Amino acid sequence: MLLGKLTEEDFNIYPSKYPWARELYEQAVANTWFPHEIPLKEDRDDYDSMTEEEQHALKFIMAFFNPGELMVNRSIALGIYPHIKSAECHLFLAKWMWEEANHCTSFEYVLETFNFDREETYGIHLNQPSMVAKEEFVNNYTSKMVSEDVDVTTPEGKKDFIKNLIATNIVTEGIWFYSGFMVILSFRQRNKMRNFGSMINWVLRDESLHLKFGMNLILNILEENAELVTEEFAKEIKDIIIEGVRLENQYNKDLFPNGILGLNAEYVNQYVQYVADRRLEELGFEPHFNVSNPAKWMSTSTDVLELVNFFEQQNTNYEVNNKA
Amino acid sequence: MNIFVTKRDGTKVPFDANRINRSLERASKGFENQIQMVTQIATETQVTIYDGISEREMDEATINTALQNVSEDPNYDTVATRLLLKVTYAKVLGDYDKDDEEAPQKLHNARFADHINTYVEKGLFDKRMQEKFDLQELAQVLDVTRDDLFAYTGLSGLLHRYALKDLNQEPAETPQYFFMRVAMGMSYNEVDPTAMAKRFYNKMSKLEYLAGGSANMNAGVPKPALSNCFLMEMHDDMTHIAKTVGDVMLLSKSSGGIGLSLTKLRASGSPLTSSNTVSSGPTPFAKIIDVAIRAIQRGGKKKGALCFYMENWHIDFPDFMEWRQNSGDDHLRMRTADTAVFISDEFMKRVKINADWIMFDPKETADLNELYGNAFSKRYQEYCDKAEKGEMRMYKKVKAREQYRQILAQLQGTSHPWLVWKDTINNRALNNNTGTIHMSNLCTEICLPQDKDNVAVCNLASLNLAKHIDENKKEVEWQKLEDTVRTMVRHLDNLVDINVLPIPEATKSDTENRAVGLGVMGFADAVEKMGWSYDSDDTYDFTDKIFEFISYMAIDESAIIAQEKGPYMHFQGSGWSKGMVPYDSIAILEKERGFELSVDKESKHKGLDWSILREKVKKGMRNATLMAVAPNANIGLVANTTPGIDARFAQVFSRNKISGKYLDLNTNLVNELKKRNLWEKVKGKIIEQQGDIAAIEEIPADIKTIYKTSFTTDPLAYVEVAARAQKWVDQSLSRNMYLATRDNDDIMNIYTTAWEKGVKSTYYLHMKPRHTAEQSTTSVNKSTAIGKVGFGAFKSRFAEVRQKEELATMPSVESPLKVAEPSSVATQTPVTNVAKKPFVCPVDPAERAQCDSCQ
Repeated sequence: MLLGKLTEEDFNIYPSKYPWARELYEQAVANTWFPHEIPLKEDRDDYDSMTEEEQHALKFIMAFFNPGELMVNRSIALGIYPHIKSAECHLFLAKWMWEEANHCTSFEYVLETFNFDREETYGIHLNQPSMVAKEEFVNNYTSKMVSEDVDVTTPEGKKDFIKNLIATNIVTEGIWFYSGFMVILSFRQRNKMRNFGSMINWVLRDESLHLKFGMNLILNILEENAELVTEEFAKEIKDIIIEGVRLENQYNKDLFPNGILGLNAEYVNQYVQYVADRRLEELGFEPHFNVSNPAKWMSTSTDVLELVNFFEQQNTNYEVNNKA
Repeated sequence: MNIFVTKRDGTKVPFDANRINRSLERASKGFENQIQMVTQIATETQVTIYDGISEREMDEATINTALQNVSEDPNYDTVATRLLLKVTYAKVLGDYDKDDEEAPQKLHNARFADHINTYVEKGLFDKRMQEKFDLQELAQVLDVTRDDLFAYTGLSGLLHRYALKDLNQEPAETPQYFFMRVAMGMSYNEVDPTAMAKRFYNKMSKLEYLAGGSANMNAGVPKPALSNCFLMEMHDDMTHIAKTVGDVMLLSKSSGGIGLSLTKLRASGSPLTSSNTVSSGPTPFAKIIDVAIRAIQRGGKKKGALCFYMENWHIDFPDFMEWRQNSGDDHLRMRTADTAVFISDEFMKRVKINADWIMFDPKETADLNELYGNAFSKRYQEYCDKAEKGEMRMYKKVKAREQYRQILAQLQGTSHPWLVWKDTINNRALNNNTGTIHMSNLCTEICLPQDKDNVAVCNLASLNLAKHIDENKKEVEWQKLEDTVRTMVRHLDNLVDINVLPIPEATKSDTENRAVGLGVMGFADAVEKMGWSYDSDDTYDFTDKIFEFISYMAIDESAIIAQEKGPYMHFQGSGWSKGMVPYDSIAILEKERGFELSVDKESKHKGLDWSILREKVKKGMRNATLMAVAPNANIGLVANTTPGIDARFAQVFSRNKISGKYLDLNTNLVNELKKRNLWEKVKGKIIEQQGDIAAIEEIPADIKTIYKTSFTTDPLAYVEVAARAQKWVDQSLSRNMYLATRDNDDIMNIYTTAWEKGVKSTYYLHMKPRHTAEQSTTSVNKSTAIGKVGFGAFKSRFAEVRQKEELATMPSVESPLKVAEPSSVATQTPVTNVAKKPFVCPVDPAERAQCDSCQ
């Protein structure tokens, strides 16, 4: 069983009960990267030449991303890690947390390089209602897992666990972050923020793996606890995701009060709905929004293998941990 | 929503959808599904614009929208290309009536002389551009229909990187003006400059060959720096180290890539007599260079680029191997420069028999750097003997095979150091009568000697092989090929006398050796057009034939020019002067190695009489070297073909470049699929499969055989193609490698085979990524992939709930681009899938060791 009270046996990495978790861990290690590998001078020049609306959008996204990464970490540390009875999963969760920390300092590195007023930038998520709403949404689910009387051996406890996992992994990482990545990568499509785009490639590669892990975790837990799969609970889960999309639509209005070349709030909303449908389908639901992907150019950006002109761009495809 | 467009003068006018439609209609003229294309682009453009958008951004928006549909149909690329051409014409030639189809051609002819005169007056063009030519006559040659040969990536690369810029850094040249500038910039010293400029223009504008990057950028400007490659050494004294830093910066500024050997620098810990302290070794000095080249950006066109070379007997070589790792002390890491190891036959032989390998301090073994072949082996053994007797101050002993494995492990993880073979290069050289070749260059295709007084220089141009294939007859157009090669040799030889280089050591080497490198691009494209796969015997024999022919014609032309204008200064004593041609040096290499190369040595062309040429060569050569196959990562795109001798990376993939990220779709494949009415059926799947068509059922086997990806192509094919070409090429080839295997023994075998077949150098190693980010535009479903159903267990009941819900929530779902019908549901995984779990290898390392499949 994945979910339950920890015993000493759960520290045993062998015999392997969930080999997929070990495999994802090995891949996560091979994906290790560091922000200083990305030079940002040209991007800073790009930033200086951007319109106010464009600058606002970038700043706004980073203002959410940075605390967002740590919010995810809190949820893993307090809401997920303590209740998982698998040593392989613990390995992955540890790397996952390091990656969130690495993303946080990476965005910090961008903020510093671009000379943002950090106090102001970090202040945004405290005061901007649409951002506050997103954070409260996730923290509510995490808080339940922190309370003294949470018991994941009961159906109620298990449901709370899954709800927190959905809010953190599927909504925050799998929908909200994805829409932010799309917006940042859209600048590269216009030949701006190319190196920052390379960094986002890495972040996206990490997040894709987190999602793979989260999805595995949820689906395996559901299989091991078939009694949870009731119509009522399914509806509850679906509503969490739909609520996540609603909150993101609110946030997008503040992200793009007017719109910039290639993007406006409606466009991003549609992308969010498209991604949310995909998450729903992966969880076994029917799609809810039934919209097409407005960002067709993402096929160039993320869907096919990339051939890097290594004199010009950082090659983000290499892996570490090769053995002689 | 009321949208206003901000015009160039700042006034605002209401957005006019019809204006966009008209411009799209013109750009999509001639396509079967024209109406659908116009509607598609126009609708999608409207979603992306905003109030207050500028005219310029409007143009950009339509082009980008056209581009994001390329995966649907490559015709969208043509639309984007035509739109960009229109914008460029208007910018350079002034506004014109877009409905007048003849206008661009007329304007090109009418404004050309003015254009040249204006920029000469502004001081951006050399005065000779005005004085030497009949501008009216040249203007009449300009042919704007040749702009149809471009694809978007190439055109945008040309404008972004090579075209002359105005004060706002906007392109100030149309593509045809660009070609003519380069043609003229190579013709000043001809008896009839106008005639020669026409000859060069007609070849380049048809994309039959292209000049190297530096010539494309600088031809025609005052004091033009036209060289592409520089090869230099850093000597073991502080004055020369400091001078080298300065020289590297000056050479980088004038746009060349640099190879820099550090083998001569004494080891870390080696005594310094002047101060009675010890040296810090090569790493800190390399770091200075690494930082210095970052500072040189050359107007965003191209970053400073340099490759460090070191021989692997240097005691600091283990550090050198790690320079490109991403983690570790930043002072010991090179973030920008590349690294390559210069390997002797002695080392390779020791690897084969698993003998010891001893590393030394060059301070004690200075002559090793100058020796090669058997002379090196003999001296090296003497040093080894001394070391064993305790007579060497510094040395470090390892197993040769162990070091080889480490090199390959680093290569796999960081793509560095590249492997380049010193003895193959030197034993096969016809031009090292002036000294040992201590390194190759940035892209590992140049083999020229250098010393303190000579910074070796090479000048490049590349032939587009794909433009010399008759696609219908599947034949090589030999006569045209000969004509192109001869034209290129003239072009390159002319370049040497016009070239202005920033340091005297480079000018000296350039003018005394007149070394040029005629390259080949579009190789994989040509092979596809012939109907072969990259890893087939047909392709190998084709490689042999083509390179023998090109080499013959290039050498012949150089010998002819030598009779007209005299041989290069150091001709006497060269291999050429002994009547040798590149093929003849294979015997020397084999004799030195003590065994034969494992490459097929027969001529596949058979129609060329080399003995006549040998006699001719003996009388004089105009150029110390003739051929070098560069990677052509940029001009290959401009020429709308596959770069260098590279295989097709994938049938669809993205290129991450300084000018942006582009989708590259193989039009040869698309045309083939369209012919068989398969394109519409499979296009989505090709993206889903990341450009690998092997698993797509609908595609017939004969197509699959031809169109592989670089990771499904047999890696030994990269070795074989390079080895066959290398027989005839006097310098070397930039041999990019692509590997799906991560098995160290496999990789060892591939690189050892390359050495045994006489390949001189390998270049960047691309490893197949094991994990990529989630795809965005294709349907992916992780639960299906792992055979779980999740909440799908209640799917049927859910479907009802959903229908009810939908009725209630429909109006609130606002979406500008609603799909007509709900996309096919990807959740219909039969539950039985769970039972049919495929065999999976264990993940636990200890268990893996016992698993048959893993071994």
